[in-house]
Amino acid sequence: MTALGATASATAENWRSGRRAECRVLEELAGTSLENLTVAVLPEFDPAMRLGGRKMLKYMSEAAVLGTVAAHEAAHDAGVRRRFQPERVGLYAGTGLAAANVRDSIPMIRASMDQNGTLSYRLLGEKGLPSASPLLSFKILANMPPCIVSIIEGVKGPNLIFTPWEGQTGAALREAWLAVASGEVDCALTGGADSATHPATVVYLRKSGLLGESEYPASGAAYLVMERGETARRDGKRVYAEILDIETRPSDTLSRDPLAERIGRSFAAAPAILLALGCKICGTEVCVSGVDNQMFRARVKVAL
Amino acid sequence: MRRVVITGFGVVSPIGVGKEAFWEALSQGKSGITRITRFDCSTFDVQLAGEVKEEIDLPASVAEISAEDPKVGFAFAACAEALAEAGIKYLDEETLLHLGTSLEIFHLERVIKSGEIDFKAIASRTLSPDEPPLQIPLDTANRLVCEFFRRPGESLTNCSACAAGAQAIGHGFAGVRASRYELAVCGGFDSMINPLGIGGFQLLGALSTDNDRVESACRPFDASRSGAVLGEGAAVVVLEPLEKAISQRKTVLAEICGYGSTLDAYSLTAPDPEGDGAARSMHAALEDAGIEPGRIAHINTHGTGTHLNDEVEAAAIRRVFEGCWQKIPVSSTKSVTGHLIAAAGAVEVGACLLALVKGIMPANPWLKKVGKGCDLNHVVGEAAAFKGEYVLTNSFGFGGQNATLILRKSDGAR
Repeated sequence: MTALGATASATAENWRSGRRAECRVLEELAGTSLENLTVAVLPEFDPAMRLGGRKMLKYMSEAAVLGTVAAHEAAHDAGVRRRFQPERVGLYAGTGLAAANVRDSIPMIRASMDQNGTLSYRLLGEKGLPSASPLLSFKILANMPPCIVSIIEGVKGPNLIFTPWEGQTGAALREAWLAVASGEVDCALTGGADSATHPATVVYLRKSGLLGESEYPASGAAYLVMERGETARRDGKRVYAEILDIETRPSDTLSRDPLAERIGRSFAAAPAILLALGCKICGTEVCVSGVDNQMFRARVKVAL
Repeated sequence: MRRVVITGFGVVSPIGVGKEAFWEALSQGKSGITRITRFDCSTFDVQLAGEVKEEIDLPASVAEISAEDPKVGFAFAACAEALAEAGIKYLDEETLLHLGTSLEIFHLERVIKSGEIDFKAIASRTLSPDEPPLQIPLDTANRLVCEFFRRPGESLTNCSACAAGAQAIGHGFAGVRASRYELAVCGGFDSMINPLGIGGFQLLGALSTDNDRVESACRPFDASRSGAVLGEGAAVVVLEPLEKAISQRKTVLAEICGYGSTLDAYSLTAPDPEGDGAARSMHAALEDAGIEPGRIAHINTHGTGTHLNDEVEAAAIRRVFEGCWQKIPVSSTKSVTGHLIAAAGAVEVGACLLALVKGIMPANPWLKKVGKGCDLNHVVGEAAAFKGEYVLTNSFGFGGQNATLILRKSDGAR
């Protein structure tokens, strides 16, 4: 799920054809110093249709929607449910900064202000909380997007969830690869999701100097299914690529996100999108360094 | 594969700051649950929590961030204590730093100012250089530890909710055992004792509203249990290969010998009623340790004090330890610390160390009448003497993530 396409194939095809993401300004930032800052626009998609139902959508933040849709596409493509015991499938994921929908909080905030327009904790307890959605917590807890993936895809094995920058998703991808290679799991569902175009996130990124003047943020997600080559061959599954190596290490050298110019910076989702694109189309090595000064580098051999 | 031992432990908890104070309070069954003092919660249904009340000595730059986000200071202090005990001054490229936490703090009062709830106004104000940011990312504690103790080969921020601390330690253990790291500094930190943290959990109906019972509000496995009580704090262990610890003549607190990690894949809000994920987590840890269930001599439960969780965990323990569960004493330390969410698993490793180092199993002091389906060999009343070699601790996370660790008494202590 990227600004270049709502599926892996669409993203790959649009990347190959040299397209660039559509961008727009954020209405929520009009009149601020960021009113001209643009963010990538995601293609329209129907998550209920993609997921085969509305189950759990009410619990999902934007990142969770993107992550579950991407994970579902990957798991379906690889036939994970059909081919593997759920206990032998691991889940390794990265998530971005917390980003609740501002609109979800407005009734609670409005009810918690006193006559002077000041926050009152007494009013929060008396009126604010009763008017809040009990689902709010599900949308801000960082582990929820991958946990929703586990429920929808029936994944029951070992798991790790890291947050909130590129290097952490890179580590999740590496842990997945190691777990499969070592035989700890037979299959790993692994990836990352980030709603980096959330207005609060955009404000944070720019205020903290984490988003360059020429850069634009992008929400996105990518998940991959990793399994051993012999298992895939045994089952006659299409192999997109062989992973030769995944490395993460500290680095002060900025390795620009190669997606940034055409897809936008998707932070915690970027390593997973890069690896997915690398496996699908490009080539031998993908590399990005993160806000957390961790370098993610993967070498893949694309199957012909 | 290498044997992995704990050479340092640091803790900040509602019952004590520092290992010895924590152990002393646990031994005595001292409760850290009080009325919330951080903010006026008089109109909240939930008015109790386990707050860290002691002042913590922190470097100025850490204290400044900790004033905004207390859990960051807790993490730093626990890391500093653990590293000092292990005799480690600086992290290096062969070190893993892996800390678990759960939720970014959000200062609601910054969103409401002079009657504004217009996001544009909030954004404009926040963008001003003089205003603090609205968000404090969850990797802030890692960043500060790296600044003061130098950069490790890998710095990971785990966000697996209530399983995060145990998962971080389990991952560090597996990494040191497999020679991926020479040293692992792992644990968890958390604080949700703020209006939105308490309010959010109140909305979920997971917290006790027994506000008049104060210190005994959290009663895991009791028939009258009424929910969890939130706590705050941090705990961190230093993990090293046994051979290295011996060659450097370090004090070994205990060995970690087994880790299990599973997913329920059942529901975001409730555990699998069969306890399948919890049972598989314990089985996986036992298999990883290469021991039979009967070798476990003590269990520290997840034991949150909620109706469903306690019953499901008790059933899972009885199933995994079929034929021997009646002989295994069980402690539930959230009864006195409260639920420290992402820090819980690491703090409860500290409770296991109390058994393995001092020979004391903490009591579940408020357990008077065991709830239906909660039969286990509970340690009630006062702390009891521990005799045995292996201890197991469970952490089960909101969202269905489960982690189990098995610790073993150090060779020298056996």
